[in-house]
This record gives sequence, structure tokens and C-alpha cells, in this order.
Amino acid sequence: MFNKPATCFRVEKGYDQMTMIDTDTSGVPARILQSPMHWRNAKHQSHWRSGDEEFDAAKFGMWLFLSTEVLLFAGIFCGYAVFRMLYPEAWANGSHALDWRMGAANTAILLFSSWTAANAVRLAQLDKQFWFKINILITILCAIAFVGIKFTFEYGIKLPEGKAPGTFFAYPYATDPHEPLWWSLYYIGTGIHAFHVIIGAFLFAFVLWRAHRYQAYGPTQYTLVENSALYWHIVDLIWIFLFPLLYLIH
Amino acid sequence: MSQDTTNASNDLGWDPTDPHGINPHDDAHEGHFVADWKMQISVLVILLAFTVLTVGFYNLEQWMETAFEITLPKWINIVGAMTIATIKAILVAAFFMQLKYDKALNTFVMLFCLFCVALFLGFSMIDLGSRHLVDPERAPSIVPGGTGVGLNAASADKDFSLILSPKVNTGGSNIVLYARLHGSKEKPGLLYYREKGDEASFWKKFYSGHAAGRDTLDEHNFYEQLGFATHDATSDANASHPRHGLTPGLFSDVDPAASSSADSQAESQDDGH
Repeated sequence: MFNKPATCFRVEKGYDQMTMIDTDTSGVPARILQSPMHWRNAKHQSHWRSGDEEFDAAKFGMWLFLSTEVLLFAGIFCGYAVFRMLYPEAWANGSHALDWRMGAANTAILLFSSWTAANAVRLAQLDKQFWFKINILITILCAIAFVGIKFTFEYGIKLPEGKAPGTFFAYPYATDPHEPLWWSLYYIGTGIHAFHVIIGAFLFAFVLWRAHRYQAYGPTQYTLVENSALYWHIVDLIWIFLFPLLYLIH
Repeated sequence: MSQDTTNASNDLGWDPTDPHGINPHDDAHEGHFVADWKMQISVLVILLAFTVLTVGFYNLEQWMETAFEITLPKWINIVGAMTIATIKAILVAAFFMQLKYDKALNTFVMLFCLFCVALFLGFSMIDLGSRHLVDPERAPSIVPGGTGVGLNAASADKDFSLILSPKVNTGGSNIVLYARLHGSKEKPGLLYYREKGDEASFWKKFYSGHAAGRDTLDEHNFYEQLGFATHDATSDANASHPRHGLTPGLFSDVDPAASSSADSQAESQDDGH
């Protein structure tokens, strides 16, 4: 069954490429190759007819979850729209208090990490284990950089100035009584988003550990990689809208 | 079993000779899309270019405003930034999330979700924008420059610089009841009629609306005196008689069930039970 030569592997540009099961495993230690966690030894759950069906169902479930994530942030966007309509002055003041350079840097970081996450899926499908792990690692580092910039150069500067949410607001040079509302919405929106970034980083860390320890992901077994990447992309998508709404529109 | 045998090779969608997928080739994920790296990197470059564009547009606008005092209309800023964000989102969803090459069901889920978001946002905006058509005093009010009231207020908690919004102090009662009693500049509240008229007419006016908060405010129990506590009138097609208050006898000392037990026993005996 596994004795067929690797020539059946077609590399084609575009779509509908057959992924293969007969990869070159020379050089992989037997300890990893014979592990039940290794992607070649992993079997789909017995209540599925095939791994394909299991994969499709998992991915569909992930999309359902992502739609609830969008609805979660839709509440924040709706609050933004309503209060912007009611208190445009406070919103303009609040937007001017944010540093667009930090927002732009974080946008670039998230877009780049989205690309590395998409790369990781492709490299897992092609069984390029080393570069797969490198891309996952870059994604995690980008997540750390994002959260670091957010906490150090945004929250860490604004909170001591008194630009705090709701009743904690104590900025002495505010000109509009509704500015605490803006800061509430800013901290809730970006805070929940940063929390998602941290969750995504932990997901990728789990993927990286399993990939490093067992080579758990390969052409026939990459469900968690795919779903983690989907999660990461939706986090990116939400930031794509949060960035102009908070930093650029005034 | 040959390598070519897959679960997709018959019309059933699964292999009758291998219904539980013991054959490992069923896990082969044949036909799954593997993205092209050139496509992916070009999408990344386009996304970064759009980011530079939207940030550049913002800075151009700021520069025009400070250097030449040219202020563009607000909608240009909003529409420009949101259009670019939407294009970026579509690119990410189509190529990075591979919706373009994936099953249509996943796209449908996301589109339906966005439809729900549009309903959610749309109806909220319609609600907010049309309240004044029903009642002029409920129009969303905008105070240019703000009132500044909240900032001058004394700090309630020294440790956290807690500033409570002092614009309206309802004294702990709910805001709807407060508004009904005190009214606004345009429309006098019910307390205004209390000053002009007698107590009973005030409470008649009060209870002809809603009976909210009657336990705390109605010291003389005009609720019952004016006949609002009766449950005699029942609604019919021509007149609606809303029922206020508690179920009769719910908290009375006399247990209505115990007092009428003799009658009910007699009735039940008549019925033959």
C-alpha cells in the first residue's frame, strides 16, 4: 500500500491537486514514524465513513463558529455606529487620541501572519515539515508582537493618562462628557480582539508542538492546521475593520 | 483494493465494500485544493498595498486640513476607508480562507451571517433615526461640544477617580418612570398635573397608562380606590381592558381556596365527582 514510488505526486499550479500518501519518509526517525500520532498512522474517527467527510464536517463546524464570532463583534460594531451617531464629537476626539502608526503596524503584522498561516496549510498539504513549522512559528511570533505593541504602546500609554473606559476615565483635558463611552468601546473592541489573538497563538503553539514532536500534520491529516488558520484569518478580518473604524475615521 | 478506489467512485458517495472506511486510502483527501504560493504572496502584497493606501488617504486628508484648511466631507473619509476594508476582507476570505475554492456551503454560512449582521445594524439605525417621528422628545439629542457636566463632577471614589454621570439622577427609580413623572422641557410630566389637579385625578392619569412602580409611590392606594384593582372587566373585540397588578388574593390573609372549599365541595358533589 505504501510501496508506490513518489512519482505519483503531481505538482500543479492552480487547483485540484491530488495530495499524496506515499511521501518520502527517509530520514524520519522510527520513533516519530511509528507513533500513532504521526499523520500517516492517524485514522479518522469510526463514526465517519472517511477522513474526507470528517475533515469537511470539522471545517463546516469551524465556519459556523466563525459566523458566531462575526456576530459577537457585530454587537461592538453596532454600538460603535449608534454612539458615533449620537456623540460624533466624542468619537472624533477619541479617534484623534489614537496613534495610527501603531494601528498600521499591527495591521501589517496581522496581514503578514495571515499569509504565513495560509502558507502553513499549504506546506502541511505538501508535507514540507520544516517550512511548515517555520511558518507556524512566525505566526506565533507575529501574535506576540501584536499583543506586545497593543499592551506596551497603546494600553500602557493611554491608561496612565486617564484615558480609561467608563467610570475609570480620568483624563483631565477631555472636552466631551461622552469620551468615557468611546474609551469603553475602544477597550472592549480591541481587548476582545487581543484575547482572540492570544487564543490563536495558543492554538498554533499546540499545532507546532504536535508537529515537532510527532509530525502530526501532513497531506492526509491537517484538520487542526486548517481550522486554526481559519480562526486566525477571521481575527485578521475583524482587525481589518476595527483598524479604520477606530484609528482612521474621525 | 487498488489505489484508485475512492469513496467518490460510485454514486452512493461511500464505498459499499468498505462502509466504515477501513481502507486508509479513504483518508487521502484527494481533490483538496492546494494553494499556489505565487497567488498567496500576490494577495499579501495587494493587502499591504491597500493598507498603505488607506493610511495614506488618512494622512493626506489630515495634511490638507492643517496646511490648506481644506476639510473634505465626512462621508468621503468613511466610505473610502470602509470600501478599502471591504475589499481587503473579500481578498482574505476568498484566497487565504480559500472560500473561492471551497464548498459553496461555507460561503453560504458566512453570507447568511453577514445578512443577519446587516439586519441587526440596519434595524438599529432605523430605530434610532426614526424615534422622533413617533414622539419628538425621543429624538437622539446631540449637544455640540458636549455639556461638560460629567467632567466637573466630584470624584465619587478617590482611588479610582470614579466619575458618575450626573446628568440625570433618578433617585434610584427606573428611568422610564422618572421620565413619565418629571417629563421634559417640551412635555410636562405627570407631577405637573399633580400640582394643578387633585391627587385622585393624578393617580387616575397615572394608572390609565402603566401601573409601574405603584407599590413605592401610591401611599393611599389610589390604585384600589379608583377601581384599577378589579379584574371584572374582560377584554373583548371592541374594548381592551389591561389587567394591572397582582393576582387577586395572592397575598391576602384569607386563603380564598380555604374559604370557598365548602362551596366547591358542594359543587363537586352536585357534578357527581
